[in-house]
Amino acid sequence: MRTKKILAIIISLSMFMSLSSCGKKSSKVEGEFRIGIGQFAEHPSLDNCREGFLLGLREEGFEQGKNVTFRIDNAQTDGGFASQIFDNYVNNNMDMIVAIATPMAQMAYSRAKDKNIPVIFTAVTDPVAAELADENGKPVGNITGTSDKLPVDLQLSLIHEMYPEAKRVGILYTTSEVNSISSIEEYKYYASSYGIDIITQGISDTSDMALACDNILNKVDVMTNVTDNTVVASLPVLLSKANEKNIPVFGSEIEQVKKGCIACMGLDYVELGKQTGRMAAKILKGEVEAKNLNYEIIESASLYVNSKVADNLNYIINQDIIDRANQVFDTIS
Amino acid sequence: MDAIELLKFYFITPQEIIGILTGVLREGLMYSVASLGVYITYKILDFPDMTVDSSFPLGMSITAILLILDVPPILTLCISFIAGALVGVITGIIHVKFGVRDLLSGIIVMTALYSINLRIAGRSNLPVFKKPTIFHLEYFNFLDRSMKTILILLVIVAICKILLDYYLKTKNGYLLRSVGDNEKLVTALAKDKGNVKIIGLAIANGFVAFAGSIFTHDRGFFEISAGTGTLVIAVSNVIIGMQIAKRIKCISDTTAVIIGSILYRACISIALSWGLEPRDLKLITASLLLIILVMNSIKRKNKVA
Repeated sequence: MRTKKILAIIISLSMFMSLSSCGKKSSKVEGEFRIGIGQFAEHPSLDNCREGFLLGLREEGFEQGKNVTFRIDNAQTDGGFASQIFDNYVNNNMDMIVAIATPMAQMAYSRAKDKNIPVIFTAVTDPVAAELADENGKPVGNITGTSDKLPVDLQLSLIHEMYPEAKRVGILYTTSEVNSISSIEEYKYYASSYGIDIITQGISDTSDMALACDNILNKVDVMTNVTDNTVVASLPVLLSKANEKNIPVFGSEIEQVKKGCIACMGLDYVELGKQTGRMAAKILKGEVEAKNLNYEIIESASLYVNSKVADNLNYIINQDIIDRANQVFDTIS
Repeated sequence: MDAIELLKFYFITPQEIIGILTGVLREGLMYSVASLGVYITYKILDFPDMTVDSSFPLGMSITAILLILDVPPILTLCISFIAGALVGVITGIIHVKFGVRDLLSGIIVMTALYSINLRIAGRSNLPVFKKPTIFHLEYFNFLDRSMKTILILLVIVAICKILLDYYLKTKNGYLLRSVGDNEKLVTALAKDKGNVKIIGLAIANGFVAFAGSIFTHDRGFFEISAGTGTLVIAVSNVIIGMQIAKRIKCISDTTAVIIGSILYRACISIALSWGLEPRDLKLITASLLLIILVMNSIKRKNKVA
């Protein structure tokens, strides 16, 4: 009997819940767009992407409350949640689905492809490898977006300029992160023209960091990062070990320079988001369809320098570099 | 955070209700196959089998790579089952023959399989969007896509259930159930209880890998992180199912497990459509499980009193 009662309670609760959702109903208004944004994880770069996207849309005249309603969800790196999030958007017949980071973009594509809802992705390093675009960069369906491919050549040229005698550049990466592996391939491709050897060290999770740092720091002159989520998350370990050995660490984006990397030629994820927002605006205005719009790579990389880190390493940054920098940080956060 | 709260909006339409229901059925049915496997280890053998968290992505990775090699979709399901069964045998051998504790032997195999899964797929994320899957088969074409998916899943789940029910009624199946209930009986029947356990683990992990395979067919890509938490979800499904089976006598345990999986998904969907954020889902999952377990123990105490 008890279970029956409990079942009854659960069912009535669920009815109550759906009723309460009805209360908050905002039915579709003519001329108003509904956009669902699914983000893979809470992560400064991805957060910046999302904020940039909203800014980019606003610049084009699409604003929350005015002519757009947004629903923002975060999958907390869980595939099951990601699936539920996009199911929800598709069921709601959203006018556009935005997916931030590779697994989200794939899930969004898998869920929305039968309904022809345009999907815009951002922060996907290699849309071709993720099968979101074909070899010529053409969309595989009603899906397009922006790639956060690292400006590897520019980064190597920066390393070479700041440390011309550095011959061995080390990279730590997580063996399960496909983005890192493709970035390392890029590094190896460009390194030879600078006379640099790329030395890599794989880890499987955060707990391997300390040991892996000790190991690789004995073999390299300079360290550089790729956009490896695990390594970036435990960046302080790498930085403190590298400091002991007086080895400079280059970052892969602005947040890492704030945290103690000496410099980077990095992406500004807010800019990337804005560029994505502008693409989305074009589609919302009906100027172009997502399936006819090739994915875009952010054109400009910006130079970020941390002068406090340079002081700690007894390195004097060339005035030329300081002048070129987008931003110079004088503290370590 | 405030900005995001402000940006949120909730509404519900008939299409949304149908959409939610099909979503619940689809996810519930897919997980129910894994739950049938966990039913064997958790309920019948009383074995906390951590292998599940990696045999699930094993099924996913094998399916992804086989689809890329243009292996017929249905065959990928069978191969995944066999691969999962092999992994179950390994866990069983480590536990039974080498005397490693049950939990630990599962963890050892799970850890090793992480690397093996990466090896199989070649990388941590492998899309198969361009390949035909079981959901593209030329059956039930009169239905729309989501209905077709559910019908195909129903057929698969029904086959799994019937086969498992049939197996549990065979002599082997009776032995399997006795190992969990009364090990001495098995020994008294002059049977090796270790071997029975190994067979049980093999079938269980076969089902789990089979479920993983279905997931790749549905999602269209393999992702290494997808398996984490499978055990917890499947155990929750089994526990809910067992509560149903206890109350409603006319349905079998296996049917109850399938219903439990769907109910569990329904609870999560309700929580989500209520406006809870996906980030809170793990908390909801844990609370749901705790409530059911506590209800159970209170009931037991009342009975004793």
